[in-house]
Amino acid sequence: MANRVNLQGNQACALGAIAAGCTFYGGYPITPSSEVAEAMARELPKVGGTFIQMEDEIASMGAVVGASMGGVKAMTATSGPGFSLKQENLGYACGAEIPCVIVNVMRGGPSTGMPTRPAQGDVMQARWGTHGDHPIIVLTPASVSECYTETIRAFDLTEQLRVPVIVLIDEVIGHLVETVDLDDLTPQTTVSRKFADTPVEGFEPYAVTEDMIPPFPRPGDGYRSHTTGLTHMPNGFPTQNPAKAEAALTRTTDKLVLHKDLIEFCQLIECAGADLVIVAIGISARAAEQAVRDLRGQGVNVGLFRPLTLWPFPETTLKAAVQGAKAVLVPEMNQGQMVLEVERLMAGDLPVHALNKIDGEAITPSEIAAKVKEVL
Amino acid sequence: MKDLEPETPFEINDYIRLEQMPHFLCPGCGHGIALRALLWAVHELQIDKDKLAVVSGIGCSGRLSAYIDANTFHTTHGRPLAFATGLALARPDLHVIVITGDGDSLAIGGNHLIHACRRNLNLTCMMLNNEIYGMTGGQVSPTTSSNRYTTTTPAGNTEPVFDACALASAAGASFVGREVTMQVTGLKNLMRGAIEHHGFSFVEVISDCTEIYGRKNDLGMSPEMMLSQKATMRPEAYRNTVDVPFRPNALECGVLTQKDRPEYGSAYREMTANLRAKGKQHG
Amino acid sequence: MDDFEVRFSGSGGQGLILSAKFLSAALVAEGFSVAQSQSYEPVSRGGLSRSDLVVSKGQAAFPLSRGLDYLLILDGAAAQASNDLLGKDSLVMVDSELVPEPPKGAFRVLNLPFAETARKLGNKRVANIVALSALVACSGICKLETLEQIVRGKTPPKFATLNLEAFEAGCALGVQGA
Repeated sequence: MANRVNLQGNQACALGAIAAGCTFYGGYPITPSSEVAEAMARELPKVGGTFIQMEDEIASMGAVVGASMGGVKAMTATSGPGFSLKQENLGYACGAEIPCVIVNVMRGGPSTGMPTRPAQGDVMQARWGTHGDHPIIVLTPASVSECYTETIRAFDLTEQLRVPVIVLIDEVIGHLVETVDLDDLTPQTTVSRKFADTPVEGFEPYAVTEDMIPPFPRPGDGYRSHTTGLTHMPNGFPTQNPAKAEAALTRTTDKLVLHKDLIEFCQLIECAGADLVIVAIGISARAAEQAVRDLRGQGVNVGLFRPLTLWPFPETTLKAAVQGAKAVLVPEMNQGQMVLEVERLMAGDLPVHALNKIDGEAITPSEIAAKVKEVL
Repeated sequence: MKDLEPETPFEINDYIRLEQMPHFLCPGCGHGIALRALLWAVHELQIDKDKLAVVSGIGCSGRLSAYIDANTFHTTHGRPLAFATGLALARPDLHVIVITGDGDSLAIGGNHLIHACRRNLNLTCMMLNNEIYGMTGGQVSPTTSSNRYTTTTPAGNTEPVFDACALASAAGASFVGREVTMQVTGLKNLMRGAIEHHGFSFVEVISDCTEIYGRKNDLGMSPEMMLSQKATMRPEAYRNTVDVPFRPNALECGVLTQKDRPEYGSAYREMTANLRAKGKQHG
Repeated sequence: MDDFEVRFSGSGGQGLILSAKFLSAALVAEGFSVAQSQSYEPVSRGGLSRSDLVVSKGQAAFPLSRGLDYLLILDGAAAQASNDLLGKDSLVMVDSELVPEPPKGAFRVLNLPFAETARKLGNKRVANIVALSALVACSGICKLETLEQIVRGKTPPKFATLNLEAFEAGCALGVQGA
């Protein structure tokens, strides 16, 4: 109870970034994420950091990757069409393994859609928005305190693994104000990328190390290395040699498999012995949590599986969580995206039901409860 | 940068990655000359290679960064100025130079160019103008001359061209210049002035694409193309002389714009330092 | 009461979100956790606007309104918009002038002259503060002293006197209603 304040989800993302050591923000205004930029414009000067509002969404992502190439922790935030525009330079960061954090506050789509209304229609875009096979991590806070803690975790992961991390929230969570105690939530230490410190002679910026995470050559430290979006060899220069190209691509995606335990994070509520497990993120998970409480009160055995790491999807944990269940329900504010991944994992062993809502309103606990009763 | 002239003469091999040779430029391409002029200027200014960052986009010009022995970043199409803006703001200790092309900076990256000019962040932008998309096989660009044939203007180009220097100057660039590859020393001196300038500097290099553009338009081999470029240019020394009416359409070269404007990075850092000082005063 | 829900509804520019913020801060000072959500149309001024508080001890599972204990309506356009969330124990407070047709049902409805009171104080824009203190005085959801401290602490100096006058006038209206 040391420092209880009412804080908005978007602002919590900004304060989380500052707590994680972010010193660069490149942004562009777009509803409903603009409060992240506004908070960073206020907070970054206080810590000697740099805020810049760029000329467009593409440039803001470029500036973020550029700043990170300079060795600093960097972030941007966006929504809807802005997230589409950021995909090109986000893909560059995936390919060249440049750490960065992107907060995407989901609004109704497609196109301009419903700018002030919530949706969860970017579940698949967050995973596959940029072209080509690529590694990416997506986190899904469902409360203001998680906006803070998951943004910190996003920085820790992106810095440690050299993989872009998306903090995926919906408009409800982004604009929600909740009572939080930041003192309780702030970690003692944060993670920075591993900078190269070996002799310059023979240094390879994308060398295959045991942990598959190449040390980052900071400009000015003498390595004078080359960074490119072209498929590259361990020495950083482009290649079209089939074996070398495949090895390079495979390492960046295998890296996430190797560090699965570090990346995956989920919350299980009453899953043990549940007849039905609900899988939900964001505001839909908050509704599901309430539905679980209400249904348990009525003697219905139901649990909630909440993947805070949405991508890579916590496969093993979900499979364990549904042991003994008769069905799975996936409520989401889209026409059925996360449900596809759950269906894939259930592989026909369990019936997977969907509850979809695309009218710009959040799914309610009673809608989930009604659906649970219908399918059980 | 140091005040003294370097004691050793310029030797290009000191500034390029020899292991990346042979380079991939076509015979007769003017881009290599531009690269040499740039590195010569870097040498004369005694810039520490460890502190030199070169950011390039996509296209033939974009590939040059890989040959420079410095911190080099080959970024996305049209976006090198956006990447460079982040890099220069995050690392004001680095000399950031952008290499771009006419398609890269005037078409897909046009928005970034005008805002970089307006913002006046301390960056040097060298645009290699060869009037064509060479890497993709010879399509029309915003600087392709009238009636010229390209793969996407099979009956001749009917679009008007951009004057890149006028654009940069109008958008607020505080240093703007143009030179042809024929004038290597002039180009070196221009690049030197651009790098020394505190603010956003923009240099258009009139380069030649002999293999694709020259051949398709029957412009001759590289020497013919370079000579014709030189002939149509109005050198700085002759800018206001009586022969203006005889070369009314000629582009001017040399330093075209030079003005003192607040540099963005310094202004931002000063503002934030003041904010922090005030914050400390108020406890 | 450990858990309750409050809605401020009306049109954009009436200061409803500010009222909700003041009440949130007062409730937090009294040890509650608050989830405050907004709904508005994509215009800067005008359009339907509402701000909801879901109040609980500890973080609420679902942070959005499910059933309103208290509903404040300051614009006729918002009069019927929340009917689905009202029950027999709900208390509805409407502006007697701006909401000519308040919702009808098994719940209690109070018609109070928020706007008129604000006008008499010299500025119709403080109707939001009048309504806020009336709500708190009538319902007792938090101590009036706590709310007064918040209003004092968060009001810019040039509006301090006006806001405190509005606060007092609202209290008087609310006490009558209670």
